[in-house]
Amino acid sequence: MDNLFIEGSKQTPEIKFEANTGILEIKGRSIPENTFEFFNPVLLWLEEYAKSPIDKTIVKVNLEYFNTSSSKYILEIFKRVKAVFTEGNDVLVEWYYEEDDEEMMETGEDYEDVSGLPFELIAVEEE
Amino acid sequence: MAKQSIYQREADFLEKSKEFLKRNSYSRGELQLEYKQLLENYEELVDQVKIITKISDRLQKKLNKTNDKLELTNDQLNDTNLKLNETIDALTEAKIGRRSATIVMFVAIALFIISEVWIEPIIESHFGNGLVGLGLKLVVAILIKPGEDLMNKYMLKRARKKQLEEATQAE
Repeated sequence: MDNLFIEGSKQTPEIKFEANTGILEIKGRSIPENTFEFFNPVLLWLEEYAKSPIDKTIVKVNLEYFNTSSSKYILEIFKRVKAVFTEGNDVLVEWYYEEDDEEMMETGEDYEDVSGLPFELIAVEEE
Repeated sequence: MAKQSIYQREADFLEKSKEFLKRNSYSRGELQLEYKQLLENYEELVDQVKIITKISDRLQKKLNKTNDKLELTNDQLNDTNLKLNETIDALTEAKIGRRSATIVMFVAIALFIISEVWIEPIIESHFGNGLVGLGLKLVVAILIKPGEDLMNKYMLKRARKKQLEEATQAE
């Protein structure tokens, strides 16, 4: 299947999903005017990927800020990744946050609790 | 398949349950199944609402923090700008002060020479007394400082007007 790449902007995150490596990256800021329009192709791609995932899937999330509707879609992304996980595949979510960004770290912890996926919270130095 | 709106899946479940209620008869098994599905969906929705609300509140806190930082940076920038303007003003005043002092000194020297070469001989021949010429030189000397101040004020006013015009053009 094809990889998915959506270039990031001031309002939307960069999406880089590679089916051949199993590395799914979301990076930047997510405050799209129309969240459905932005995230729908992402969810569709994940549904396809979940049908024949590779042995190890790594989801890298490095978001600086996202709005409420994006938080719902991030949850939907994790639900689809969970489907891959429950099928017996290896899955790891790498949740990146700036080292002084307490809120983003705690948000990662919340997603870890609710998704039931293995998370690794990674603090990065501020750019 | 992903649906057309953010809560489309939940809305579809709700619609399905409403349709089920419209039926005339239900078997015990159907009721149990429908209730189970409804309960599962409700539970999932409550979990989602809880987490989304929590995350949303936390990100609002982050936004507020960022706003506070921005306000602080803005205040610091304003302070720096004020200090910079004060320094520029002081520099302009010093530069103009030196220039006006030079101009006034040249005017005073010119007046002294004019008085010495042309005016004094006329006064002396008219009054036959050197004191009047000396008094004239004294008046010129006394007027040097106020003259310099006046010149200073005028040149400063011009410089500020020019600065204002440049700032307006830049905007």
